[in-house]
Amino acid sequence: MKVFEESGCFDPHSITDCQDLIGLPGATYCPNSLEDSLSLSSYNHHHHHEDVSAAAAVDMEGHQHYLLDNTATTTTTTNNNANAHLIPYLTQELSYDQSNWETFNMVPSSSSPEAAAAAVASGGYTPTPDLLSLFHLPRCSFLPNSSISFETTPGSPSVVYDPLFHLNLPPQPPVFRELLQSLPHGYTVPADDKDAAGVGGLYHDGDNGIIEFTRDISMAGRTKDRDKAGKTTKHFATEKERRVHLNDKFQALKKMVPSPTKIDRASIVEGAINYIKELLRTVRELKILVDKKRCGQDRSKRLKTEDAASAADAGDVGCKPLGDPDQCYNTSLRSSWLQRKSKDSEVDVRIIDDEVTIKLVQRKKINCLLFVSRLLDELQLDLHHVAGGNIGDYYSFLFNTKIYEGSSVYASAIANKLIDVVDRQYAAAPPTSSNSL
Amino acid sequence: MDMEFLGSELNELSIRPSRGRPGRRRQGNNDDDDNFVSKNLHAERKRRKKLSDRLLTLRSLMNKATIIDDAITYIRELQKTSEDLSEELLEMEASSEDGGKQMEMGADAADEMRECGIKEEVKVTNIDGNKLLIKIVMEKKRGCFTKLIEAMNFLGFELGETNVTTFKGAMLLSSCVLGKFVDALMVEQTEELLIEMIRSMKGSSECANDGSL
Repeated sequence: MKVFEESGCFDPHSITDCQDLIGLPGATYCPNSLEDSLSLSSYNHHHHHEDVSAAAAVDMEGHQHYLLDNTATTTTTTNNNANAHLIPYLTQELSYDQSNWETFNMVPSSSSPEAAAAAVASGGYTPTPDLLSLFHLPRCSFLPNSSISFETTPGSPSVVYDPLFHLNLPPQPPVFRELLQSLPHGYTVPADDKDAAGVGGLYHDGDNGIIEFTRDISMAGRTKDRDKAGKTTKHFATEKERRVHLNDKFQALKKMVPSPTKIDRASIVEGAINYIKELLRTVRELKILVDKKRCGQDRSKRLKTEDAASAADAGDVGCKPLGDPDQCYNTSLRSSWLQRKSKDSEVDVRIIDDEVTIKLVQRKKINCLLFVSRLLDELQLDLHHVAGGNIGDYYSFLFNTKIYEGSSVYASAIANKLIDVVDRQYAAAPPTSSNSL
Repeated sequence: MDMEFLGSELNELSIRPSRGRPGRRRQGNNDDDDNFVSKNLHAERKRRKKLSDRLLTLRSLMNKATIIDDAITYIRELQKTSEDLSEELLEMEASSEDGGKQMEMGADAADEMRECGIKEEVKVTNIDGNKLLIKIVMEKKRGCFTKLIEAMNFLGFELGETNVTTFKGAMLLSSCVLGKFVDALMVEQTEELLIEMIRSMKGSSECANDGSL
């Protein structure tokens, strides 16, 4: 609670003073306290962790007495009313239009937009620290508006409804939040990833940042940040942390995917999509194989038991198990497709039923044909057709093979082993040799 | 990809009801039954549409981080599933007995070839400078291709266009290779070597891959 005691404006009892001050056009008092409150608020932010409710609860506890005092009383100060009205709103979904804002603002006197906004700011001024901290929003996000101009008032109220951001609210609020949260830190956030591209310019404006807001805000909505901002549920202390966290997740996703992809996010996601599809194919293939194998095993078991039974008991003919033992109802066609790429090689394995088609492309350095052939023998694949040769800098080969009956080799095993063998041989061979075994 | 999922979901949903009411479908000749079927069909369609709409909304609600998290989780799950299945397959492989079938091929191949009148052949020709064209017709055996390629390597040939076709137990290899020092003598020697190789492979059911070359 020291946060609010230090700054005069946060003192609930001096709210009328604040109101007067803020009501003045171009009040210079506000920006200072804005920074104060922001530095204090961001200080507070650092203590909050990702869980909304937990953080909210923490805040609730911290400012409980303040809020409860206000809500408990039935005084008609704007402050209290704003609080009281805000709290029920906090629990509902809100469309953030001006009217909503005004209804719970409860500014008695003025009807002009400026005064209303000012009153908004003022009315929200004192309670905003608590309520905003409840949602981890910048304390005085309305202040810039009030102190500079009120061009963006339609957008500003939405800051309060941040948790609902993902319901396609305009991106302006997060921009606000980003900016305001970084304000006290002296704009050390470098625009080093494309997220900040649109916002970076704002950051670098330094002390004039507040003034530049209004101009750039309308642009901010159209930048790439539109779909990148909006991590509302994790509640990081800074926007930077949020970005870093998101980037880490992308990197984690990238690591899980076996093929080399470019660093950009779109490629990572594309790689993930392809990999997931591939995994699904593999799982399906494996299931079919396991079923077939199980079927075959059951069949052989039944045959054994039948033999045993017939040998043991010559008279009993009717010991056939239920259903037709010789027919496996698994008529699904096993099909699978995999691709594996490495720096110098590319492998494509397609399996339909018992035919495996392998395509191999490798930068010309070694005679990969030999190793591939050895591997195919190992995997019990019967070569039916091979075609290929030199194409520019590369060797390119196509193998049509058949799986020997009974073998349950599967696509991903083939592809992985193949690329592995080929890569290892490639790496092991000396660079200029043309006669390597 | 989401649509794929939804599609499969819808398919699943559409399959179930029809299985559940087979009786109705088969009797559906008079109007009453048709009405029942169509009413149920409408209701079922509505239900399915409701579900798919809600799923779409759920998708749209997820924010970026959640989507990435879900993707990571799903990938892990799929990887685990595939590992489990492949282990299971390996175990089943170990405990099953199917070794006999694979060796049957060798004996048949020679017979088939003879029946078709395909003759064994080795032909090495110098086409241009150091380039050689090698043509081999031989009995197809497991591992014979590997042996041939080993031979090529041993001879220091750089493989160019290579083709292998199999037909009725015979294998035709046609390869354009780049040799090191090609002259008439070398061509002859190469041919002899290859003929010898084929003869040694003949008769055994499998070409042992012991790198004895």
